[in-house]
Amino acid sequence: MFLTEAKRYYVERRLVERMTETGSRSFEDYFARLRSDLQREIEQFVNAFTVNETYFYREEHQLACLSSDLLTARLKVKPRGEPIRIWSVPCSTGEEPYSIAIWLLENWQHVDQYDIEIIGSDIDTDAIALARAGVYGKRALMRLPPAVVDKYFVASGNETWELMRDLRESVRFTRANIISRAETEPHGRFDVIFCRNVLIYFDDLARRTAAENLFENLLPGAFICLGHTESMSRISPLFDVARFDHAIVYQRPAR
Amino acid sequence: MPLIRKPSSAGSSTPPTPAPEPAAIFDALARGNDDERWSAARAAADFADSVPALAEALRREKSQVVREALFLALARIASAQSVEAVLPFMRSDDASIRTQATDALLAMKEAAWPYVPALLRDKDADVRILACGLVRDMPREVAVKLCCDLLDSETEPNVCSAAVDVLAEAGDSSALPALERCASRFGAAPFLAFSLKLAIDRLRSQSSRA
Repeated sequence: MFLTEAKRYYVERRLVERMTETGSRSFEDYFARLRSDLQREIEQFVNAFTVNETYFYREEHQLACLSSDLLTARLKVKPRGEPIRIWSVPCSTGEEPYSIAIWLLENWQHVDQYDIEIIGSDIDTDAIALARAGVYGKRALMRLPPAVVDKYFVASGNETWELMRDLRESVRFTRANIISRAETEPHGRFDVIFCRNVLIYFDDLARRTAAENLFENLLPGAFICLGHTESMSRISPLFDVARFDHAIVYQRPAR
Repeated sequence: MPLIRKPSSAGSSTPPTPAPEPAAIFDALARGNDDERWSAARAAADFADSVPALAEALRREKSQVVREALFLALARIASAQSVEAVLPFMRSDDASIRTQATDALLAMKEAAWPYVPALLRDKDADVRILACGLVRDMPREVAVKLCCDLLDSETEPNVCSAAVDVLAEAGDSSALPALERCASRFGAAPFLAFSLKLAIDRLRSQSSRA
């Protein structure tokens, strides 16, 4: 994560929050606690700095691209019987991986013919816990058609809706830091990776390291979708640009 | 519901690959196929002692993908030795290699900065132009001083143009005298005169607002 001088207030606010939460009397007290990882403070510190602002069907054109083009391209080269593997990283509080699941159930005519394995990963373990719980407020659901909300969610009071259990259980959540090869490599290789709006927070070296890690997690010919303000071409020469009607994505060369 | 949750054999339950020993990494860098060399380059980044092997591999490497991993490994090590391993590639005849080398030096930040003044005095104008790209990332006061000194001694308009671009972004009123001296020397080069005027106007406007 690359934080410039312009982010000083952002950093200070979160540091003060953690110092208050841990009862630290000074920065030195808190820093000592952080360095010794007392009561898993490093994880709490990382959690405080992550941004978990998202909603269902965000950048819907990429979901349309997934069902109309990316999966069609993958099925042409995948051995029969192998599952289609999709990775949402970072997945924040689960809106993206669940959106992928709902979108495919609603929009991909072949959804009943294939096993589809969706994994959501994030560095923030609090966000992962919320993702597993699958309870969302009105803002997170604002882009979903009402019929889709009725079909997959149950109102759970206080302006919140709980995702149906079958769907919650169809997505697996893990912790992963995309800068760490030791954490990305065990996830295996995927047909499509969604890695949106995170690389913008990294410095150049971290961005390029993440790009190499993600390249390794793609099957030959598989695709990666970035956020609309991000360009893999400016980060790494490893990927080909793949232009489709609904979106421009990046592809690991088939060979 | 057709979506599955349990890990497939395609890899989600794969244990991490044990870190290879340095000897195996060096062997793969020297004799592996494309995939093996790429993996070895990535693994080598965890061993500072691997710089000589990475440098040797870079001299031989033909694959752009593997070369990117070699440059990135050297950038991640970010030592004086790894900077010195990258520097010769700023003189490559291949523009993509020059760019990869410059990106690696940029990524090494403080480790590369002590080498920048010498690069700005290099006899090759292309190297001096690339070095201006490295200055851009240095602390502002240092960057301004280096670019002003360069402008006062530089004979090549294209190099001046690269330094002027940096000053237009990072400079302050202290850069105005050097920019004006450069304007009086290179008034006949229209593209440089244009960028000098732009930089001078911007810095004057900034200082009048301050």
